[in-house]
Amino acid sequence: MNRPCPDRQDRLADYLLGALAAGAAKAVQEHLDRCANCRQYLQNLQRQSETLVRLGREIGADMEVRQAKVIEALEDVAPAEAGMSRVFPFIGGYLRTAVAAVLVLGAGITIGRWTGPHPVDVGQLRAELQASVTASLQPVVGESVLAELDQRLQTGLSASDERLRAELGEQVRRDLRVLAAQFAANSERLVDERFADIVQLIEAGRRTDRERVAKALEQITTRTGLGFQTLAARAQEPSAPIQN
Amino acid sequence: MDECSDRDLVTASCRADRAAYAGLVRRHYNHVFLVCLGVLGNVHDAEDVAQDAMLKGFERIRQLRDGAQFGGWIVAIARNLGINLLRQRKSMAKALGAGEPPAQSHAGTGYEDLRQAVARLPWDLRLPLVMYYFDGQDVKAVADKLEMSTSGVYLKLRTALKELHDLLTTQGETP
Repeated sequence: MNRPCPDRQDRLADYLLGALAAGAAKAVQEHLDRCANCRQYLQNLQRQSETLVRLGREIGADMEVRQAKVIEALEDVAPAEAGMSRVFPFIGGYLRTAVAAVLVLGAGITIGRWTGPHPVDVGQLRAELQASVTASLQPVVGESVLAELDQRLQTGLSASDERLRAELGEQVRRDLRVLAAQFAANSERLVDERFADIVQLIEAGRRTDRERVAKALEQITTRTGLGFQTLAARAQEPSAPIQN
Repeated sequence: MDECSDRDLVTASCRADRAAYAGLVRRHYNHVFLVCLGVLGNVHDAEDVAQDAMLKGFERIRQLRDGAQFGGWIVAIARNLGINLLRQRKSMAKALGAGEPPAQSHAGTGYEDLRQAVARLPWDLRLPLVMYYFDGQDVKAVADKLEMSTSGVYLKLRTALKELHDLLTTQGETP
């Protein structure tokens, strides 16, 4: 096959596609009138293009059958749940990320406030101390009471005299009352002691804070005072005459 | 169903309405199939990937924000699936040490020669060629769908036509 002019091939393809402006198209037409090889090349490209269109039609002939297969296969598929883009459809990209970050931060702050330390509640502190001291005293007191009771009951059971049993019973009740009073007194005293310790610690902390604040205030006052003094001094100076 | 807009059909499809999505399949399948053919170069692969793309579209339909954009969205899914398949095959062929598939003998109809020549083009040349000649779209429409300039599409078409001509001529000259 004879080859077209090498520098004309692109122009011929563009001419076929209708991509050339009127002047350029006219120049190609003039060349075609003179060059048989380029004329042949263009005819080949034209035939090739027409065959492409026919091939496209042939392939497209089965399109309805293909569509039917897809529609049949839809039975096995269902839409998945929506993601974030559907929850916030009105915002996208970075903005959606920013909103999500703000929500997470907000949640974090809220949780922090719920779980973070509160100012000291003296009533609550006292109640908690009471519960703690009672819990630590109870086993000791309980054991000693049980040991005492056991000993007296053993004695009582072995006694045959009815009057002695009554006396022993009365003694046990009396001892129990004494022990209860002791337990109450002990727990009250321990609570007071621990409470006093804690109050002392809190007071020491507050005193330190007050000292720091006082020191800072003193420094601020000194500097501000100096500033005011300078300002007042400058205000008293005679102002310079305005130059025209 | 045909008079419904894409947006209406997408809204109904989000409620798992298969009849509504079938309407979208009838309306857009041709483009999806031809894009797959343009990327992959043979009808069987294009059928498989186009079906896969349409089914994935139904699965992900709730991710589509604007139903009116369904056409471009589903074509993009199809194109990505096709390109992924090409890449997988390329890496597999590389791993197996296989080169380019040998050119087949050209016994058969003139269409068969052309089919094989089209299949041997690089996909970035074949896709605009298929959209222009098989789907009958004008250059501007192809440029819009491929997000290219019209001059870029003209350049691809010109190169594709010349390469096709060379391939067919070489085949014709082969003894």
